[in-house]
Amino acid sequence: MDFLLDSLIQALQLILSYNPEVYHTVWTSLYVSSIAIILGSLLGVPAGLIIGTCQFPGKRTVITLLNTLMALPTVVVGLVCYGFFSRMGPLGSWGLLFTPWAMVVGQVILATPIIANYTLGALSAADGRIMPTALTLGASSFQSSLQLLQEIRFGAMAAIIAGFGRVIAEVGVAMMLGGNIRGYTRTMTTAIALETSKGEFAFGLALGLFLMGVALLVNLFLNLLQQR
Amino acid sequence: MKPILSVRNLKKSYNGQVVLDIEELDFLPQRIYSLVGPNGCGKSTLLQILALLLKPTAGSLYFNDLPIVWKRGELQKIRRQVTLVHQSPYLFHRSVRYNLAYGLKIRGIHGDEQHRRIHEALDLVGLEGFGRRNARELSGGEQQRVAIARALLLQPKVLLMDEPTSNMDKKSTADFDALIPTLIQRDLTIIQATHMPDQPERLGSVIIAMDQGQLDKSPPLSASVLLSPSQ
Repeated sequence: MDFLLDSLIQALQLILSYNPEVYHTVWTSLYVSSIAIILGSLLGVPAGLIIGTCQFPGKRTVITLLNTLMALPTVVVGLVCYGFFSRMGPLGSWGLLFTPWAMVVGQVILATPIIANYTLGALSAADGRIMPTALTLGASSFQSSLQLLQEIRFGAMAAIIAGFGRVIAEVGVAMMLGGNIRGYTRTMTTAIALETSKGEFAFGLALGLFLMGVALLVNLFLNLLQQR
Repeated sequence: MKPILSVRNLKKSYNGQVVLDIEELDFLPQRIYSLVGPNGCGKSTLLQILALLLKPTAGSLYFNDLPIVWKRGELQKIRRQVTLVHQSPYLFHRSVRYNLAYGLKIRGIHGDEQHRRIHEALDLVGLEGFGRRNARELSGGEQQRVAIARALLLQPKVLLMDEPTSNMDKKSTADFDALIPTLIQRDLTIIQATHMPDQPERLGSVIIAMDQGQLDKSPPLSASVLLSPSQ
């Protein structure tokens, strides 16, 4: 028990003393995941909107595929991307492997199906009169789709936050594509795994506290949106 | 006088079952038409088709004597002149003003002109000062009046209304009945579906009786009944 208590005190000391390594790791996690979630939203929200509002052959299959992609193991995404980005891979010449951008690509792949699926869910719960109302007021199909998106804005934001929750807490992509390079691609999750294995439990705990703080904020925001 | 809207050999069916079958029907400009008939007789379906929100299974529609082509751009052009107020209208989750401004913004009407039209439309339906209110927090009757104002300020050529007074109280209904005849002087044709037995006559409207998806050609309720204006 003393071990846990001592570690917690040390972890709080690291946080309160503005330990540069802790804060740099937190910053790397936040900016990689933020860029990934912005790109994932730009892909996922329109994808959900198109799948939800358009009728096309194979729609059921696309939805099933999206559901499957939601449960995609992060290490599998990391593995496949590694294959593409490694020196021998088809995109090896881009030199992305073990850079923050490789992590961004992996996290976009993780986040997009989640955002698309949650957007789809928000659409299926939306009032069926929204688009006919916009159309009869003179909107084009595109304008009425935008209006539909406006009406489900809280659902779409919840989708984006759920995607952020997934990518900020993942380890597989960050480890395999970022390489856990200190001061460059080390994120909260990879640092926790590494430092704990090195016996630096307090350091891992400090980052764990940050991660839980982010998760708490994300969930509070999500709850707030769902209540509206 | 040439009709503003016409239908010829119109059919709508779902899973092979015909729900609407109208051989010929013309709507002349600046008149009020009331579609009457029992529930499920096809009034709402006809209104949806006239609003170009529902594609007929067969038949043709004409606007100002020109055939309507079911292509997105073409439909949008005509929808800007033919507006439908649904029975339970949907108001966007924003203020009354936002709802009223929506169609105007789409038409590129901003600034003073937008402000003037919104003010005038709210005045017309007796909702002065409601602009900042949350549209979804209004009563059913008030929401219906907002929906009517939202359609009217677009100055359409044809205003379609599905049971427009179904959520209104007596006073609002009386106000509505007084308002409607004044609107046709603004170069507007009104086609409404109604269940209120005495309203069509009160409005001096042409009654179109329907039954089981067809025009009911049996003797009508009153002398003002006109099954098909072209007849």
